[in-house]
Amino acid sequence: MSDRTSEVPTPAGGWPWEDILDDELRLLLAKRQPRPSLGKRPAIIAVDLYDLVYDGGPRPVIELMDKFPASCGEYAWAALPPTIKLFATARALNVPIVHVNYDNRPETDPANIHPTNRKKRQANLDLYKIKDELAPAEGELVVFKKRASAFFGTPLCAFLNELQADSLLFVGESTSGCLRSSVVEGWSYGYPCFVVADGVYDRYLLNHKVSLLDLHLKYATVVDLASACDAMQAAKAFAEAA
Amino acid sequence: MRDFEDYCWRDLLTPEMVQIYSAYHRERTVRSHPALVMIHPPAGFAAIGTEWCETVRALGEAMRQLGLPVIHSVRPGERCDERFGARADEVVCYRTTESAFLLSDLEAHLTRARANGVVLCGAPMSGALRATAVESKSFGYRTAIAEDATGDEASLLRKVALFDVAHKYADVLTADEIIALLTQNAKVSAA
Repeated sequence: MSDRTSEVPTPAGGWPWEDILDDELRLLLAKRQPRPSLGKRPAIIAVDLYDLVYDGGPRPVIELMDKFPASCGEYAWAALPPTIKLFATARALNVPIVHVNYDNRPETDPANIHPTNRKKRQANLDLYKIKDELAPAEGELVVFKKRASAFFGTPLCAFLNELQADSLLFVGESTSGCLRSSVVEGWSYGYPCFVVADGVYDRYLLNHKVSLLDLHLKYATVVDLASACDAMQAAKAFAEAA
Repeated sequence: MRDFEDYCWRDLLTPEMVQIYSAYHRERTVRSHPALVMIHPPAGFAAIGTEWCETVRALGEAMRQLGLPVIHSVRPGERCDERFGARADEVVCYRTTESAFLLSDLEAHLTRARANGVVLCGAPMSGALRATAVESKSFGYRTAIAEDATGDEASLLRKVALFDVAHKYADVLTADEIIALLTQNAKVSAA
Protein backbone atom coordinates (compact mmCIF):
# COMPACT_ATOMS: atom_id res chain seq x y z
CA MET A 1 0.00 0.00 0.00
CA SER A 2 1.19 3.43 -0.90
CA ASP A 3 2.05 5.83 1.89
CA ARG A 4 2.06 8.83 -0.41
CA THR A 5 -0.58 11.41 0.29
CA SER A 6 -2.25 13.46 -2.38
CA GLU A 7 -1.46 17.14 -2.66
CA VAL A 8 -4.86 17.98 -4.12
CA PRO A 9 -4.06 20.57 -6.79
CA THR A 10 -6.75 23.20 -7.13
CA PRO A 11 -8.64 22.54 -10.38
CA ALA A 12 -7.93 25.01 -13.18
CA GLY A 13 -11.53 26.25 -13.03
CA GLY A 14 -11.50 26.46 -9.19
CA TRP A 15 -13.32 24.17 -6.78
CA PRO A 16 -16.91 23.40 -7.76
CA TRP A 17 -18.15 24.32 -4.27
CA GLU A 18 -16.49 27.75 -3.93
CA ASP A 19 -19.74 29.72 -4.17
CA ILE A 20 -21.55 27.76 -1.44
CA LEU A 21 -18.88 28.04 1.27
CA ASP A 22 -19.74 29.68 4.58
CA ASP A 23 -17.64 30.01 7.74
CA GLU A 24 -18.60 26.57 9.07
CA LEU A 25 -17.58 24.89 5.82
CA ARG A 26 -14.35 26.89 5.49
CA LEU A 27 -13.42 25.69 8.98
CA LEU A 28 -14.07 22.05 8.05
CA LEU A 29 -12.02 22.45 4.85
CA ALA A 30 -9.16 23.95 6.84
CA LYS A 31 -9.22 20.93 9.17
CA ARG A 32 -9.32 18.38 6.33
CA GLN A 33 -6.54 15.80 6.65
CA PRO A 34 -4.58 14.83 3.50
CA ARG A 35 -5.74 11.49 2.09
CA PRO A 36 -3.72 8.72 0.46
CA SER A 37 -2.96 9.20 -3.21
CA LEU A 38 -3.67 6.55 -5.82
CA GLY A 39 -1.59 3.41 -5.33
CA LYS A 40 0.21 1.36 -7.94
CA ARG A 41 -2.90 -0.19 -9.45
CA PRO A 42 -5.83 2.20 -9.58
CA ALA A 43 -9.12 1.23 -11.21
CA ILE A 44 -11.88 3.42 -12.60
CA ILE A 45 -15.45 2.86 -11.40
CA ALA A 46 -17.95 4.35 -13.85
CA VAL A 47 -21.38 4.58 -12.20
CA ASP A 48 -24.66 4.49 -14.12
CA LEU A 49 -23.63 6.06 -17.43
CA TYR A 50 -26.60 4.66 -19.31
CA ASP A 51 -28.73 6.21 -22.06
CA LEU A 52 -31.52 7.11 -19.64
CA VAL A 53 -29.60 10.02 -18.10
CA TYR A 54 -28.78 11.57 -21.51
CA ASP A 55 -32.40 11.31 -22.63
CA GLY A 56 -33.80 14.43 -24.33
CA GLY A 57 -30.40 15.89 -25.17
CA PRO A 58 -28.23 18.64 -23.64
CA ARG A 59 -31.05 20.83 -22.33
CA PRO A 60 -31.88 22.18 -18.85
CA VAL A 61 -33.22 19.43 -16.56
CA ILE A 62 -36.32 21.44 -15.77
CA GLU A 63 -37.35 21.46 -19.45
CA LEU A 64 -36.86 17.70 -19.74
CA MET A 65 -38.41 16.40 -16.56
CA ASP A 66 -41.94 15.85 -17.85
CA LYS A 67 -40.96 13.76 -20.86
CA PHE A 68 -37.63 12.39 -19.59
CA PRO A 69 -37.97 12.14 -15.79
CA ALA A 70 -34.62 10.43 -15.19
CA SER A 71 -32.53 12.66 -17.45
CA CYS A 72 -29.66 14.80 -16.17
CA GLY A 73 -29.84 16.80 -19.42
CA GLU A 74 -27.15 19.40 -19.98
CA TYR A 75 -25.10 18.20 -17.00
CA ALA A 76 -24.85 14.67 -18.40
CA TRP A 77 -23.83 15.93 -21.83
CA ALA A 78 -21.25 18.37 -20.40
CA ALA A 79 -19.57 15.46 -18.58
CA LEU A 80 -19.44 13.26 -21.67
CA PRO A 81 -16.27 14.61 -23.40
CA PRO A 82 -14.18 14.60 -20.16
CA THR A 83 -15.34 11.05 -19.39
CA ILE A 84 -14.42 9.88 -22.91
CA LYS A 85 -10.98 11.46 -22.40
CA LEU A 86 -10.59 9.80 -18.99
CA PHE A 87 -11.44 6.38 -20.43
CA ALA A 88 -8.99 6.84 -23.34
CA THR A 89 -6.20 7.82 -20.95
CA ALA A 90 -6.98 4.90 -18.63
CA ARG A 91 -6.94 2.39 -21.49
CA ALA A 92 -3.63 3.78 -22.78
CA LEU A 93 -2.12 3.33 -19.29
CA ASN A 94 -3.72 -0.11 -18.73
CA VAL A 95 -5.84 1.20 -15.87
CA PRO A 96 -8.87 -1.11 -15.70
CA ILE A 97 -12.36 0.38 -16.05
CA VAL A 98 -15.22 -1.30 -14.19
CA HIS A 99 -18.61 -0.23 -15.54
CA VAL A 100 -21.64 -0.14 -13.27
CA ASN A 101 -25.09 -0.52 -14.75
CA TYR A 102 -28.61 -1.12 -13.44
CA ASP A 103 -29.87 -4.70 -13.58
CA ASN A 104 -32.93 -4.13 -15.77
CA ARG A 105 -34.28 -7.70 -15.81
CA PRO A 106 -37.95 -7.37 -14.82
CA GLU A 107 -37.85 -10.59 -12.79
CA THR A 108 -35.31 -9.02 -10.40
CA ASP A 109 -37.88 -6.39 -9.49
CA PRO A 110 -41.20 -8.14 -8.94
CA ALA A 111 -42.42 -5.81 -6.18
CA ASN A 112 -41.46 -2.68 -8.09
CA ILE A 113 -38.91 -1.76 -5.46
CA HIS A 114 -36.36 0.74 -6.71
CA PRO A 115 -33.00 2.15 -5.67
CA THR A 116 -34.68 5.47 -4.80
CA ASN A 117 -38.19 6.67 -3.99
CA ARG A 118 -38.66 8.43 -7.35
CA LYS A 119 -42.33 8.20 -8.35
CA LYS A 120 -42.17 9.18 -12.00
CA ARG A 121 -40.21 6.59 -13.91
CA GLN A 122 -39.17 6.00 -17.47
CA ALA A 123 -40.96 2.82 -18.46
CA ASN A 124 -38.48 1.84 -21.17
CA LEU A 125 -36.01 -0.55 -19.54
CA ASP A 126 -33.93 -0.65 -22.75
CA LEU A 127 -32.54 2.77 -21.79
CA TYR A 128 -30.43 1.08 -19.10
CA LYS A 129 -27.74 0.57 -21.72
CA ILE A 130 -24.32 2.14 -21.29
CA LYS A 131 -23.96 5.06 -23.67
CA ASP A 132 -22.23 4.04 -26.90
CA GLU A 133 -19.37 6.52 -26.48
CA LEU A 134 -18.63 5.05 -23.03
CA ALA A 135 -19.38 1.41 -23.83
CA PRO A 136 -17.24 -1.27 -22.18
CA ALA A 137 -14.30 -2.33 -24.36
CA GLU A 138 -13.59 -6.02 -25.01
CA GLY A 139 -12.69 -7.67 -21.71
CA GLU A 140 -13.79 -4.83 -19.40
CA LEU A 141 -15.94 -5.78 -16.42
CA VAL A 142 -19.54 -4.72 -15.88
CA VAL A 143 -21.30 -4.82 -12.49
CA PHE A 144 -25.10 -4.96 -12.45
CA LYS A 145 -26.69 -3.45 -9.36
CA LYS A 146 -30.19 -3.06 -7.90
CA ARG A 147 -29.48 -0.48 -5.21
CA ALA A 148 -27.76 2.89 -4.88
CA SER A 149 -24.20 1.71 -4.17
CA ALA A 150 -22.16 -0.15 -6.79
CA PHE A 151 -21.02 -2.43 -3.95
CA PHE A 152 -24.41 -3.35 -2.47
CA GLY A 153 -25.26 -6.94 -3.41
CA THR A 154 -22.75 -7.06 -6.29
CA PRO A 155 -19.41 -8.83 -6.88
CA LEU A 156 -17.55 -5.51 -7.15
CA CYS A 157 -15.29 -6.22 -4.13
CA ALA A 158 -14.31 -9.55 -5.67
CA PHE A 159 -13.68 -7.94 -9.08
CA LEU A 160 -11.40 -5.35 -7.46
CA ASN A 161 -9.48 -8.08 -5.63
CA GLU A 162 -9.11 -10.11 -8.81
CA LEU A 163 -7.87 -6.99 -10.62
CA GLN A 164 -5.54 -6.36 -7.64
CA ALA A 165 -6.79 -2.78 -7.61
CA ASP A 166 -5.45 -0.75 -4.68
CA SER A 167 -7.23 2.57 -5.27
CA LEU A 168 -10.29 3.88 -7.09
CA LEU A 169 -11.21 6.75 -9.43
CA PHE A 170 -14.93 7.45 -9.69
CA VAL A 171 -17.01 9.03 -12.44
CA GLY A 172 -20.75 8.93 -13.06
CA GLU A 173 -24.04 9.98 -11.57
CA SER A 174 -25.82 11.13 -9.57
CA THR A 175 -23.44 13.01 -7.30
CA SER A 176 -25.87 12.96 -4.38
CA GLY A 177 -27.15 9.42 -5.04
CA CYS A 178 -25.49 6.34 -6.55
CA LEU A 179 -22.12 7.99 -7.19
CA ARG A 180 -21.93 9.25 -3.62
CA SER A 181 -22.95 6.02 -1.94
CA SER A 182 -20.50 4.08 -4.14
CA VAL A 183 -17.64 6.36 -3.09
CA VAL A 184 -18.61 6.10 0.59
CA GLU A 185 -18.57 2.29 0.34
CA GLY A 186 -15.33 2.26 -1.68
CA TRP A 187 -13.74 4.25 1.13
CA SER A 188 -15.43 1.99 3.71
CA TYR A 189 -13.82 -1.07 2.09
CA GLY A 190 -10.42 0.56 2.52
CA TYR A 191 -9.64 2.00 -0.91
CA PRO A 192 -8.16 5.45 -1.43
CA CYS A 193 -10.83 7.12 -3.57
CA PHE A 194 -10.59 9.92 -6.13
CA VAL A 195 -13.66 11.58 -7.60
CA VAL A 196 -13.19 13.10 -11.06
CA ALA A 197 -15.36 16.20 -10.79
CA ASP A 198 -15.59 16.81 -14.56
CA GLY A 199 -17.20 13.40 -15.02
CA VAL A 200 -19.70 13.61 -12.14
CA TYR A 201 -23.13 15.23 -12.23
CA ASP A 202 -26.62 15.49 -10.78
CA ARG A 203 -29.96 17.10 -11.61
CA TYR A 204 -29.51 20.25 -9.55
CA LEU A 205 -26.29 22.16 -8.92
CA LEU A 206 -26.65 22.80 -5.18
CA ASN A 207 -26.99 19.08 -4.38
CA HIS A 208 -24.12 18.30 -6.78
CA LYS A 209 -21.81 20.82 -5.13
CA VAL A 210 -22.67 19.87 -1.56
CA SER A 211 -22.12 16.17 -2.20
CA LEU A 212 -18.78 16.82 -3.94
CA LEU A 213 -17.70 18.93 -0.97
CA ASP A 214 -18.92 16.31 1.51
CA LEU A 215 -17.04 13.57 -0.35
CA HIS A 216 -13.88 15.70 -0.39
CA LEU A 217 -14.20 16.52 3.32
CA LYS A 218 -14.97 13.03 4.55
CA TYR A 219 -13.95 10.23 2.20
CA ALA A 220 -12.23 11.10 -1.04
CA THR A 221 -10.04 13.47 -3.00
CA VAL A 222 -11.92 15.48 -5.60
CA VAL A 223 -9.82 16.23 -8.69
CA ASP A 224 -10.43 17.60 -12.18
CA LEU A 225 -9.83 15.61 -15.37
CA ALA A 226 -6.24 16.85 -15.87
CA SER A 227 -5.25 15.92 -12.30
CA ALA A 228 -6.94 12.52 -12.64
CA CYS A 229 -4.92 11.77 -15.79
CA ASP A 230 -1.72 12.99 -14.08
CA ALA A 231 -2.51 10.79 -11.06
CA MET A 232 -2.93 7.70 -13.27
CA GLN A 233 0.37 8.50 -14.99
CA ALA A 234 2.06 8.95 -11.61
CA ALA A 235 0.62 5.65 -10.39
CA LYS A 236 2.10 3.89 -13.42
CA ALA A 237 5.51 5.50 -12.84
CA PHE A 238 5.28 4.59 -9.13
CA ALA A 239 4.48 0.96 -9.98
CA GLU A 240 7.30 0.72 -12.52
CA ALA A 241 9.84 2.24 -10.11
CA ALA A 242 8.88 -0.20 -7.36
CA MET B 1 -47.96 16.30 9.40
CA ARG B 2 -46.04 19.15 7.81
CA ASP B 3 -45.72 19.64 4.08
CA PHE B 4 -43.08 17.45 2.39
CA GLU B 5 -40.72 20.41 1.90
CA ASP B 6 -41.46 22.19 5.20
CA TYR B 7 -38.36 21.03 7.08
CA CYS B 8 -34.96 22.52 7.89
CA TRP B 9 -33.96 22.88 4.23
CA ARG B 10 -36.90 25.19 3.40
CA ASP B 11 -34.67 28.29 3.14
CA LEU B 12 -32.56 26.62 0.42
CA LEU B 13 -35.46 25.89 -1.89
CA THR B 14 -35.88 27.58 -5.26
CA PRO B 15 -38.91 27.05 -7.51
CA GLU B 16 -36.67 25.11 -9.94
CA MET B 17 -35.38 22.83 -7.17
CA VAL B 18 -38.90 22.11 -5.93
CA GLN B 19 -40.09 21.29 -9.43
CA ILE B 20 -37.15 19.00 -10.28
CA TYR B 21 -37.52 17.10 -7.02
CA SER B 22 -41.31 16.96 -7.09
CA ALA B 23 -40.89 13.57 -8.81
CA TYR B 24 -39.95 12.20 -5.38
CA HIS B 25 -42.90 13.55 -3.40
CA ARG B 26 -44.93 10.74 -1.84
CA GLU B 27 -46.83 9.69 1.23
CA ARG B 28 -44.65 9.36 4.30
CA THR B 29 -45.34 6.76 6.95
CA VAL B 30 -43.76 4.37 9.43
CA ARG B 31 -44.33 0.62 9.55
CA SER B 32 -45.94 -1.29 12.41
CA HIS B 33 -42.78 -2.54 14.11
CA PRO B 34 -39.71 -0.44 13.32
CA ALA B 35 -36.51 -0.43 15.35
CA LEU B 36 -34.93 2.83 16.46
CA VAL B 37 -31.28 2.92 15.43
CA MET B 38 -29.36 5.63 17.27
CA ILE B 39 -26.22 6.76 15.47
CA HIS B 40 -23.81 7.82 18.21
CA PRO B 41 -21.29 10.38 16.91
CA PRO B 42 -17.56 9.68 17.15
CA ALA B 43 -15.70 10.94 20.23
CA GLY B 44 -14.72 14.58 19.84
CA PHE B 45 -17.45 15.29 17.30
CA ALA B 46 -18.40 18.97 17.56
CA ALA B 47 -22.05 19.34 16.59
CA ILE B 48 -23.83 22.66 16.30
CA GLY B 49 -26.23 23.02 19.22
CA THR B 50 -27.40 20.43 21.76
CA GLU B 51 -31.21 20.53 21.54
CA TRP B 52 -31.23 17.65 19.07
CA CYS B 53 -29.66 15.40 21.75
CA GLU B 54 -32.68 15.99 24.00
CA THR B 55 -34.92 14.98 21.11
CA VAL B 56 -32.88 11.80 20.56
CA ARG B 57 -33.37 10.89 24.21
CA ALA B 58 -37.10 11.65 24.13
CA LEU B 59 -37.59 9.62 20.93
CA GLY B 60 -35.80 6.66 22.53
CA GLU B 61 -38.05 6.87 25.59
CA ALA B 62 -41.18 7.05 23.44
CA MET B 63 -40.20 4.02 21.37
CA ARG B 64 -39.41 1.97 24.48
CA GLN B 65 -42.83 2.90 25.88
CA LEU B 66 -44.37 1.50 22.71
CA GLY B 67 -42.39 -1.73 23.11
CA LEU B 68 -40.21 -1.11 20.07
CA PRO B 69 -36.54 -2.14 19.92
CA VAL B 70 -33.78 0.45 20.38
CA ILE B 71 -30.37 -0.39 18.90
CA HIS B 72 -27.18 1.65 19.21
CA SER B 73 -24.47 2.15 16.61
CA VAL B 74 -21.13 3.31 18.03
CA ARG B 75 -17.60 3.57 16.68
CA PRO B 76 -15.38 0.62 17.72
CA GLY B 77 -13.80 1.17 21.12
CA GLU B 78 -16.08 4.08 21.94
CA ARG B 79 -19.09 4.40 24.23
CA CYS B 80 -22.64 5.49 23.74
CA ASP B 81 -23.16 9.25 23.86
CA GLU B 82 -24.37 9.85 27.42
CA ARG B 83 -26.88 12.45 26.26
CA PHE B 84 -28.79 9.83 24.22
CA GLY B 85 -29.94 7.85 27.27
CA ALA B 86 -28.99 4.34 26.11
CA ARG B 87 -29.93 1.52 28.49
CA ALA B 88 -27.43 -1.09 29.60
CA ASP B 89 -29.55 -3.99 28.28
CA GLU B 90 -29.86 -2.64 24.72
CA VAL B 91 -27.95 -3.96 21.71
CA VAL B 92 -24.83 -2.05 20.68
CA CYS B 93 -23.45 -2.56 17.15
CA TYR B 94 -19.97 -1.41 16.23
CA ARG B 95 -19.70 0.89 13.27
CA THR B 96 -16.40 0.10 11.57
CA THR B 97 -17.33 1.95 8.37
CA GLU B 98 -19.47 4.98 7.61
CA SER B 99 -22.79 3.14 7.48
CA ALA B 100 -24.10 1.37 10.58
CA PHE B 101 -24.86 -1.62 8.33
CA LEU B 102 -21.73 -2.21 6.26
CA LEU B 103 -19.49 -4.86 7.90
CA SER B 104 -21.50 -4.82 11.16
CA ASP B 105 -24.09 -7.14 12.72
CA LEU B 106 -26.90 -4.55 12.60
CA GLU B 107 -28.87 -6.29 9.85
CA ALA B 108 -28.84 -9.55 11.84
CA HIS B 109 -30.07 -7.75 14.96
CA LEU B 110 -32.90 -6.12 13.01
CA THR B 111 -33.93 -9.51 11.65
CA ARG B 112 -33.86 -11.07 15.12
CA ALA B 113 -35.89 -8.15 16.52
CA ARG B 114 -38.47 -8.78 13.75
CA ALA B 115 -38.15 -5.16 12.72
CA ASN B 116 -40.06 -4.29 9.55
CA GLY B 117 -38.75 -0.74 9.39
CA VAL B 118 -36.06 1.54 10.78
CA VAL B 119 -36.23 4.92 12.49
CA LEU B 120 -32.94 6.83 12.52
CA CYS B 121 -31.57 9.61 14.70
CA GLY B 122 -28.17 10.83 15.88
CA ALA B 123 -25.13 12.34 14.19
CA PRO B 124 -23.44 13.23 11.95
CA MET B 125 -26.41 13.62 9.62
CA SER B 126 -24.25 14.19 6.52
CA GLY B 127 -21.97 11.26 7.39
CA ALA B 128 -22.85 8.08 9.26
CA LEU B 129 -26.57 8.79 9.45
CA ARG B 130 -26.92 9.53 5.76
CA ALA B 131 -24.90 6.46 4.76
CA THR B 132 -27.02 4.34 7.11
CA ALA B 133 -30.26 5.68 5.65
CA VAL B 134 -29.17 4.77 2.10
CA GLU B 135 -28.25 1.23 3.18
CA SER B 136 -31.40 0.82 5.25
CA LYS B 137 -33.43 1.55 2.13
CA SER B 138 -31.13 -0.79 0.17
CA PHE B 139 -31.85 -3.59 2.67
CA GLY B 140 -35.58 -3.12 2.07
CA TYR B 141 -36.54 -1.38 5.30
CA ARG B 142 -39.03 1.46 5.20
CA THR B 143 -36.86 4.09 6.86
CA ALA B 144 -37.77 7.28 8.70
CA ILE B 145 -35.46 9.97 10.03
CA ALA B 146 -36.37 12.20 12.95
CA GLU B 147 -35.23 15.53 11.52
CA ASP B 148 -35.00 17.36 14.84
CA ALA B 149 -33.06 14.46 16.41
CA THR B 150 -30.07 14.83 14.05
CA GLY B 151 -26.87 16.81 14.53
CA ASP B 152 -24.02 17.92 12.31
CA GLU B 153 -20.89 20.06 12.23
CA ALA B 154 -22.14 22.34 9.46
CA SER B 155 -25.67 23.56 8.96
CA LEU B 156 -25.59 23.45 5.12
CA LEU B 157 -24.31 19.86 5.05
CA ARG B 158 -27.08 18.79 7.44
CA LYS B 159 -29.84 20.54 5.51
CA VAL B 160 -28.82 19.20 2.10
CA ALA B 161 -28.23 15.70 3.49
CA LEU B 162 -31.76 15.69 4.94
CA PHE B 163 -33.15 17.08 1.68
CA ASP B 164 -31.39 14.43 -0.45
CA VAL B 165 -32.38 11.56 1.83
CA ALA B 166 -35.97 12.80 2.21
CA HIS B 167 -36.44 12.77 -1.54
CA LYS B 168 -34.60 9.59 -2.46
CA TYR B 169 -34.35 7.15 0.41
CA ALA B 170 -36.26 7.84 3.62
CA ASP B 171 -39.26 9.54 5.18
CA VAL B 172 -38.09 12.68 6.95
CA LEU B 173 -40.45 13.71 9.77
CA THR B 174 -40.12 15.40 13.14
CA ALA B 175 -39.71 13.17 16.20
CA ASP B 176 -43.22 14.16 17.32
CA GLU B 177 -44.67 13.22 13.95
CA ILE B 178 -42.96 9.82 14.11
CA ILE B 179 -44.19 9.20 17.66
CA ALA B 180 -47.74 10.16 16.62
CA LEU B 181 -47.66 7.72 13.69
CA LEU B 182 -46.26 4.92 15.88
CA THR B 183 -48.88 5.57 18.55
CA GLN B 184 -51.61 5.46 15.92
CA ASN B 185 -50.19 2.15 14.61
CA ALA B 186 -50.20 0.73 18.15
CA LYS B 187 -53.86 1.74 18.64
CA VAL B 188 -54.86 0.13 15.35
CA SER B 189 -53.15 -3.16 16.18
CA ALA B 190 -54.62 -3.18 19.72
CA ALA B 191 -58.16 -2.63 18.39
